[in-house]
Amino acid sequence: MVEVLQQIINGIAIGGVYVLIALGLTTVFGILGIAHFAHGSVSMFGGYLTFFFVTSWGFPLLLAILIALLVGLMLGVLIELLAYRPVRDANHINAFIVALGLTMMVEGINLELFGHEQVVIPTDFSRVFNFGGVTIPELRLYVILAAALLIAAMTVFVERTKTGQAIRAVAENRDAAILMGVNVKTIPLVVFAISTALGVCAGVMVGSLFAIAPGIGEGLVVKGFAVLILGGLGSIPGAVVGGLVLGITEALAAGFISSAYKDVIAFVVMISVLLFRPQGLMGKA
Amino acid sequence: MARNRTYILYGLALVGFVLLPQLISVKYYIHLSVLALIWVIAAQGQNLIQGYTGYVSIVQAGFMGIGAYSTALMGMHFDLPVWLSIIIAPFVTAFFALLTGYPSLRVKGHYFAIVTLAFNMVIFIVLMNFHQLTHGEAGITGIPKPGGKDALFNWRDRETYYYFVLIIAALMTGLAALIVRSRIGQILVAIRQNEDLVGAVGIAAWKYKLFAFVTSAMFAGLAGAIYAHYQSFINPEIFGIAQSLDAILAVIIGGSGTIAGPIIGAFFVVFLPEYLRFADSFRLILYGLVLVLATIFMPRGIAGIARDLMEKRRGRT
Repeated sequence: MVEVLQQIINGIAIGGVYVLIALGLTTVFGILGIAHFAHGSVSMFGGYLTFFFVTSWGFPLLLAILIALLVGLMLGVLIELLAYRPVRDANHINAFIVALGLTMMVEGINLELFGHEQVVIPTDFSRVFNFGGVTIPELRLYVILAAALLIAAMTVFVERTKTGQAIRAVAENRDAAILMGVNVKTIPLVVFAISTALGVCAGVMVGSLFAIAPGIGEGLVVKGFAVLILGGLGSIPGAVVGGLVLGITEALAAGFISSAYKDVIAFVVMISVLLFRPQGLMGKA
Repeated sequence: MARNRTYILYGLALVGFVLLPQLISVKYYIHLSVLALIWVIAAQGQNLIQGYTGYVSIVQAGFMGIGAYSTALMGMHFDLPVWLSIIIAPFVTAFFALLTGYPSLRVKGHYFAIVTLAFNMVIFIVLMNFHQLTHGEAGITGIPKPGGKDALFNWRDRETYYYFVLIIAALMTGLAALIVRSRIGQILVAIRQNEDLVGAVGIAAWKYKLFAFVTSAMFAGLAGAIYAHYQSFINPEIFGIAQSLDAILAVIIGGSGTIAGPIIGAFFVVFLPEYLRFADSFRLILYGLVLVLATIFMPRGIAGIARDLMEKRRGRT
């Protein structure tokens, strides 16, 4: 029982990372109808950048994260302007192909700048808490708390602020939003900036919890989409539920069945949900 | 008239392909041409689902892997002759495509793409970890070439294999053209243009989508099987997502929804990385850049541009 609880806690930590990635993907998809496949690689770029600032320039972790966030934000805006905007009105397949091309480019840039060795962002959170037999490393706890905080902040932003309202309006009906005076040229930029920032946070979490290496970003973005499929499109609660389900399933599978096949098991769960609830766990029929 | 001209063009292209080995003196280029022809088969399949039906599937290389491993394993464990295992391999692939296609075709657009991509990951992970069967990362070596010791042709010669693959690639291209021209092909295009309408006139769209998906997988399985016997060695490395993206790239660059497109595109994806070799680690970046720019500036591919040019000239004369 303790062992199960332990794996569930581990699953919540990795699930939190998935939720952050999925939140970025779902807002971009809602506004632009684009499956932003390069999101994972861009997130890893942020993680790499943080690693670089901490180890090479000796910056404190928080400062490094802040700079990485800002750079990631600008990168997100650039990607929207240069790559996605030109294919806005073309067939949706084209936007997806552009996303694939972008993924290759960003992966290539990561490789060129940071090499192909795997890196771990050093942190000095080494304490381990113990709650009745269930151990939680300090770092893992902070990751869970930070993810929860970011998810809450994102929810408040989308639901309560004027800009968030505009984002929801564009997602719901682009033409009507234009008529209501929403500036549909700047909204995508805001969305890309925010989702990339969330992605960079996820990248830092992956980099400090596990490691960053070439290909990790692609794996992560696939998990992000799996979360969306699990949870249902365009809903923040759906992304949260989907992310936690995926993370916990994976952790349990790794702990009790086979760690080599944990991803296979996670995808099998996704496919089964698809068979019985094509609209996702939280989606409307 | 226009159709006659197209046939003449295809005839000329075929003559060109037949003469090609005589024109190239560097053996390595013949090797690349064999690979490109294998990719033509896979890309024709990809084009059926992506170009005509409008569903981007990212599992083509995974299906090539299933084809390659099934022909190799059937040869090893059941002692089947090479030609027979090459013929069975696409059907093994079709079986897996049926299993995976049914749930994944329940979602549309990008989500279909992501689900198929997940399948490719699953195939890759299984090939990597199912050591008893696939030998994991080390792969399978010593896969026999077609023909025994006293065969009619010398199969170890690259030229012989080139002509063998050329015949199959031409046949499969013809088969793709037949499918596209048939009523089924028309319905596939209709699904791409307006799936709801197809449903509204009483056609069960999912059957046709499943047909396109399974057929495209069979093309991939055949390509993979031929690849396995050509290289005599396979490992999971070449059946990953990156290679599935190559199949998509081949269709887009060549011209999606055209029969000539995948042929042009396949040669493009095999030869372009070779030419970008000088760029070494920048290769990935350049490759991505080519993909992005091609999609933005020539979304209809090389075949599309060529057709526009031809029509413009005809209009003028």
